[in-house]
Amino acid sequence: MAIQLQQVSYTYADRSMWRQTALHGINLNIAKGSLTGIAGATGSGKSTLLQLFNGILKPTEGTVQVLDVTITAGEKSPKLLPLRRRVGLVFQFPEQQMFEDTVEKDICFGPLNFGFTLEEAKERARKAMTDMGLDLALLERNPFRLSGGQMRKAAIASVLAMDPDIVVLDEPTATLDPVSRAELIALLERLCREQGRTIIIVTHRMDELLPYADSWALLKGGELAFQGSGQELAADPAILERCGLTIPQSLRYWQAVSTRFGLGTEKPLLTAEALAERIAAVLEERKNAAGTEEMGSGHE
Amino acid sequence: MNERLLLGRSIDTGSWVHKLDPRSKITGMLLYVAIILLSTSWMAMGLLAVFSLLVMATTRIPLKYFIKAAKPLRYLMLFIFIVQALSVKSGDVLWSLGSFSLYEGGLRLGAFSVIRMLFLLTFTALLTFTTTPGKLNQGLEGVLAPFKKLGLSPDRITLMISIALRFIPTILDEAQIILKAQASRGADLKELPLKEKARMLVSLLVPVIASAFRRAQDLVYSMEARGFRMDAPRSRYHRLRWGAADTLFVAMFIALGIAVALL
Repeated sequence: MAIQLQQVSYTYADRSMWRQTALHGINLNIAKGSLTGIAGATGSGKSTLLQLFNGILKPTEGTVQVLDVTITAGEKSPKLLPLRRRVGLVFQFPEQQMFEDTVEKDICFGPLNFGFTLEEAKERARKAMTDMGLDLALLERNPFRLSGGQMRKAAIASVLAMDPDIVVLDEPTATLDPVSRAELIALLERLCREQGRTIIIVTHRMDELLPYADSWALLKGGELAFQGSGQELAADPAILERCGLTIPQSLRYWQAVSTRFGLGTEKPLLTAEALAERIAAVLEERKNAAGTEEMGSGHE
Repeated sequence: MNERLLLGRSIDTGSWVHKLDPRSKITGMLLYVAIILLSTSWMAMGLLAVFSLLVMATTRIPLKYFIKAAKPLRYLMLFIFIVQALSVKSGDVLWSLGSFSLYEGGLRLGAFSVIRMLFLLTFTALLTFTTTPGKLNQGLEGVLAPFKKLGLSPDRITLMISIALRFIPTILDEAQIILKAQASRGADLKELPLKEKARMLVSLLVPVIASAFRRAQDLVYSMEARGFRMDAPRSRYHRLRWGAADTLFVAMFIALGIAVALL
């Protein structure tokens, strides 16, 4: 397991008038090398949950185990710097964290902090840029002069340059245009499949992640309402509505098609193309079946 | 969310002070400040302390929040005490070392300055604790209204204050996020030696300032898009209403002032 949470609660401003429990008794397991989606209505504790993964927040109750580091509430935590390198946390609108005058310097910031030499850092910057599908010519540019999508990718590259085993992203596609969104998700999936990194993505748009995610965690009011595969989610989409989320279109289509044609036991097809093919195949089968039946009846 | 920063954050307990007209609270505070400056005896200080504690108690806000409000300036208070104690040379000599002497008057004045400052901070915190920024602003506008005739624009002043107050928590929250983002990239201010800390500050300040400018720009555009005009006559959603309790509140301060003057 890459990440294991046992009975984890988190309370903001504990022992003051503004105390506010954001997470409550969470038990969560995230497998190594998997692509996990986390969804939930606004204020359900998604962002708080992410910050537990690299020790930015320490649980007020329970135990968080990330890779080989264990953080237990109330106990002195081990040195967190090495953990921060291995768990890359990309906050919402990561482009707002950029501060250097060139993209290259900004990407090198992380690796240099973790004790790499300048040469190594530059090498990693180039690799991270390539992983994010960015042109290396952009390295010399001022980050404030990039387009929105490029800035977002460069900021994500600045986290990837630390070569983390786990990459955690808080709504990486928010405010991007549809093309950039699809591109970004595809890039992240590649990082997971080809480089074996564990990827965790918080999203408001379940549609764009459903075809790729291995597992899902749904939060509701600071509690874990569901953890399981997309297939389980497809079998009982009502759980989404109970969490205050709308059922993604791809799941609605799949549900309609599977009840209409009785495909309930199959692995859900969650892209328009795959679904169209399946429907065509089903219709073909039916036509053939009907054809033979007709022939049979004609014989009588 | 920053627990330590209490400035400009209201704590709603629904006490009678909360329900007062903000204008009466501002007037009361101004009188209080004047009284603090006028009181020069231990008796007056004692009376002020009793009065302040009583009013604070009726707000039903725990005393520790008032103390917390004064805490950030504790070193300044210490500094003022030391300077006063060393520079004022009146009264009996209490202690001397070579050419240097410590006078009773210096210690007394130093103590008074610190006590005044403490009263000022804790009691004015009462104003922000019991009044939401919006109401406070409306009250300020009301108090400043007479100055309109002198060519001063209360609207302009209160708009400036309200925007500044409104954005303090926003910018702080944003700074918090950027702090966390940079910590995730290995620049944890808590775990670094002092020299490194200074260098890391740049990684915090540049993004925070950049975003403050971005916000300011957005705000200007959105205000212009909605046809905002300075000094245009506006109607209010919440009207201020001066009641008997408000008169009583201000009268309390006047009575306190007279008592202090007579002492």
